[in-house]
Amino acid sequence: MPLLLLGIVTIAFALSNLTKGDPLISIIGERQMDNPEIVAAAKARWGLDRPLPERYLRYVGNLIQGDMGISLRTKQPVARDLMDRLPATLELVIAAMVVGVGGGILLGVVAARYRNRAADHGARFVALLGSSLPVFWSGLLLLFVFSVVLGWLPGPGRLDARLTPPPGVTGFYTVDALLAGDFTTFRLALTHLILPACVLGWAVMGIISRLVRSSMLDVLAQDYILAARAKGASGPRVLVNHALRNAMIPTLTIIGFSFAYLITGAVLTETIFSWPGIGSYTVDAARSLDYPAIMGVTIVGGSAFLLTNLVTDLAYALVDPRVKLG
Amino acid sequence: MNRRDLISGRHLGWALAGAMLAMGVGGLPAMAQDKPLVIARNMDINSLDPHRGFCDTCQIYFSAAYDTLIGLGPDNKTLTPKVATSWTVNENQTVFTFKLDPKAKFSDGTAIEAKDVKWSFERLKNLKGSPAFLMDDVASVEAPDAQTVVVKMASPNSEFLGMIAAPYMGVINSKVATAAGAVAGPDAATADKSEAWFLANSAGSGPYTLAGYRADDELRVKRNGAYWRTAPAISEVVIKQTKDAVAQAQMLQSGAADIAMQVDGETAKTIKGGNVVVSTIPSYNYVYIALSPGAKSNTVKLTPEVREAIAAALDYKGLIDFTVGDAGRPQPSPIPNGFPGSDNLPEPKQDLAKAKQLLAKAGLEKGFEIDARFPNMNVYGVDLSQMMQKVQQDLAKVNIKAKLQPLTFTVWREAVSGDGVPLTAVFYAPDYYGSAQYVQYFAMMQGSPWAKRAGAANAPDIINPREADLLKQALAAPADQQNKLYRDLALEMIKDKIIIPIVSPDMIMAHSKAIKGVRYSACCNLPLDEIARN
Repeated sequence: MPLLLLGIVTIAFALSNLTKGDPLISIIGERQMDNPEIVAAAKARWGLDRPLPERYLRYVGNLIQGDMGISLRTKQPVARDLMDRLPATLELVIAAMVVGVGGGILLGVVAARYRNRAADHGARFVALLGSSLPVFWSGLLLLFVFSVVLGWLPGPGRLDARLTPPPGVTGFYTVDALLAGDFTTFRLALTHLILPACVLGWAVMGIISRLVRSSMLDVLAQDYILAARAKGASGPRVLVNHALRNAMIPTLTIIGFSFAYLITGAVLTETIFSWPGIGSYTVDAARSLDYPAIMGVTIVGGSAFLLTNLVTDLAYALVDPRVKLG
Repeated sequence: MNRRDLISGRHLGWALAGAMLAMGVGGLPAMAQDKPLVIARNMDINSLDPHRGFCDTCQIYFSAAYDTLIGLGPDNKTLTPKVATSWTVNENQTVFTFKLDPKAKFSDGTAIEAKDVKWSFERLKNLKGSPAFLMDDVASVEAPDAQTVVVKMASPNSEFLGMIAAPYMGVINSKVATAAGAVAGPDAATADKSEAWFLANSAGSGPYTLAGYRADDELRVKRNGAYWRTAPAISEVVIKQTKDAVAQAQMLQSGAADIAMQVDGETAKTIKGGNVVVSTIPSYNYVYIALSPGAKSNTVKLTPEVREAIAAALDYKGLIDFTVGDAGRPQPSPIPNGFPGSDNLPEPKQDLAKAKQLLAKAGLEKGFEIDARFPNMNVYGVDLSQMMQKVQQDLAKVNIKAKLQPLTFTVWREAVSGDGVPLTAVFYAPDYYGSAQYVQYFAMMQGSPWAKRAGAANAPDIINPREADLLKQALAAPADQQNKLYRDLALEMIKDKIIIPIVSPDMIMAHSKAIKGVRYSACCNLPLDEIARN
């Protein structure tokens, strides 16, 4: 794993530093780029006047000590930026996964159980909508309907801007509000989470439900399902204990990948819902060629993928007793 | 509820719907009368240190937290006293003397003294941050006594008073900032270690102080309890990061925000009425196209005739209509409408016959190809890609084929200052009230940014010596003569046909009917201390 991470760091460093464009614009602004004195001072301050190999070695050296550098754009340590944003993204992604996985499995099972009937068509239609509708469209539409027209749910942001966030313990507003015993803030944080989680989760729901449906159809045609039914097992018992559990193996892989993907891929949802997470941070870093931030996000994203793969592999053994961990 | 019920999904669905309604319908708790003012805005903050930061949101924050010696009145022209009660200028515009208000004090209650002003101005210059150019002409800053500041210029600069009103010239509490690692001396660029401190603290004398900042999330200021002038009506202001214009409008409509600052014309039409006021204000910002006769990828020589032909081929009214509808105005010269020298300038007009005639005279009646690279962005409600498509259509009418290539801003910047770009499009907004900044940036004078980008090194004939001479006269002239000199400069820059302004988009300010005092300031963008609840 450390070697894989070093590879990710090296490739990301090379790619981001060899990209066309000058990151100084985000530090001193476009108009001052013609002022040689200001340009020289900024380059010296941020170490951009050093040769690339020296900058790479210095970066790796600092990284080993846990220092990811200072963001050229936010002027704060990248590690702190990530720690500030990661809980926001994780809170959103976990909520989206609850919606997406829960809804996806439910729709997939219903669709398989009632194959080619109205419930199947309905479930597939909902799933299709989720994977086809662009997030920026469904996000704005849901915001308009539920926040502006109906007024049932709050608008963008993690919390009403007029309120002060709960004291930071975990960075998850819902959890921190509960820890502080502030149920009003908890309720508001939860209501702010509903729309972005549904929008993000809907997209995942589409993929998972189709996969569950297909796996369930395969499994339901197996002899052991017939045997279970012949032994007198109830319909739901056959469906859940015998069919769904076996159909979950391929689904687990997708769930794992979806989780890791959403951590850095929730860009549009975060933008529409003004959610201060990793996704929007990544886009802003890339736009302004903020090398330290790009590197930080790449390392966190890479680690998330590696970790999720590991957890997925471990989960196989839990779901399928035939899989042995060696 | 047992597991079987969960599988059926029926109870789960009802439970979710019930929870949504229970949590949502309850709404927000009753707000206090003096609830925080929320501004939905795409923040572009690059620092909260007034001597390093340089952005539109910075203007709002710096002018709220750091009082300047002089302010800019609501007419965006008149200079008004702030920390300085009075000021005098010598005849040749080289010595500026300011008398400080003895009542002026910082947010920690200590008096503002001349030494703080001297320290602040010297730090601004020596830090070599983005706004350091404001001090380019300053030779020395002296503090002969606690209430007097004397600024001596290396050359005449009649616009220095306007520059003093820029929020980057705010006075910092030198004792507090020094304790936080700030340095004002000649080694400030390397020795100053205070930028991180300024992200969490302010040390000024403005109506507000910094209450909190989370990059990409929100900037929160609270009323300065020790404010020495009239205290602001609103106790707390939150600038909430909201990138998308539609999301800004939705926040305003739902009551989550009081002001939406970057709503475009089309979105504004959908939110008019109800509890929302949409004001369309002429701005000093504009979008322009620029030609570079010295760019390496030119296929033909962009002579004055060819440049004039390009300018004459453009359908300016159509371009304004196409980009901002009725929310924009023609911009005759690179000096913005409303600034000294902008009165009664000839409006640009399309003249296809003249364009064809000029091209024929240049031997280009069959037209030519021109490389057009520009930043792919939407600025002040103008989508540069859409605008350039219309430019492409207009130029095609005189057989000029523009090859459009949208780029990211950083890549565009490298291209335009590297080998040059024959035809490009970009934007400009003022840093302070004064026309010299436009001449210094756009005029074809040796060393000016746009003379370099237009390729003066390869095409020296684009240099217009009259412009440098006129600018020198304008900077040394008394106020009553400046307007004419800047007008002459504007006419010269129109004649250059290097910078061809397209549209000055109106600023669309949408806000709740529950507030008043929302206005656009040429120096400070949105003066927060003037806003109050009805």
